[in-house]
Amino acid sequence: VNGATPTVGTLVDEFSFPVDESKVREFALAIKDPSPRYVDPAAAAAEGFERVPAPLTFAVVAAHHRDAAAAVGLLGLDISRVVVGEVAWQYERPVLVGDRLDGRRVVADVKSRDGGRGGRMTLVTLETELRNQHGELAIRQREVLIETGA
Amino acid sequence: MTELTVGPITRTDIVRFAGASGDFNPLHHDEERARAAGFPGVFAMGQLQAGMLSRLATDWLGLRAIRSYRVRFSAKVWPGDTLFLRGREEARHREEETGEELVHCVLEAVRQDGEVAVKAWVTALA
Repeated sequence: VNGATPTVGTLVDEFSFPVDESKVREFALAIKDPSPRYVDPAAAAAEGFERVPAPLTFAVVAAHHRDAAAAVGLLGLDISRVVVGEVAWQYERPVLVGDRLDGRRVVADVKSRDGGRGGRMTLVTLETELRNQHGELAIRQREVLIETGA
Repeated sequence: MTELTVGPITRTDIVRFAGASGDFNPLHHDEERARAAGFPGVFAMGQLQAGMLSRLATDWLGLRAIRSYRVRFSAKVWPGDTLFLRGREEARHREEETGEELVHCVLEAVRQDGEVAVKAWVTALA
């Protein structure tokens, strides 16, 4: 698996998932957020949302609809040495129950440098635009994968 | 300034997040596999901490006001750990184009031993 260098612009994966009421509720419970805005349309409306909104990091549920091992393999990285260093989300419009999100993950940057213990360290930045069912940009996601030296 | 304490984090919390998020990496739920990989046992996925920390931001700044959220993972969280979540305002500025006033805040999830597990940066409409 190792050796190949990921190329900027490579499409890593594409996915699509529904933002449904049960999943939003389950996710809010899992992150221990008791806010009523995630279960009660009236509480959501009081904060200016048309419908119940998804929590800030809800886009991680895309993991249900992707193959992490295949993605890392496609990048030529060794999954046993890959960790996620950083993730950033930029919010362009609210994500609400009833929406669908479509995403395409693309390689945005690749850097290689000498790691602390002699091995080479590879940093791969992936960018995903998550668009809703109307094709409108909802979230830009940027994640940095780190492959530590062998 | 805002703060909140969560935990102790249990294996059940980790498994619940695995189901909610779809992260079924066995290092987070299978003790044998975690030990075989050289860890003392299972540990929480960074996104669990990132999610718990995001609540601090939304309680404080309002979900609707938040423009960006960035997290950096720096230490693992183990079953039994308690996390102290805290946030502070760092700066404010006015966007030239839109005239919007934005507030920049820094959040941290700190373990009971003082290690920062996750650091986060949030930008929100003031």
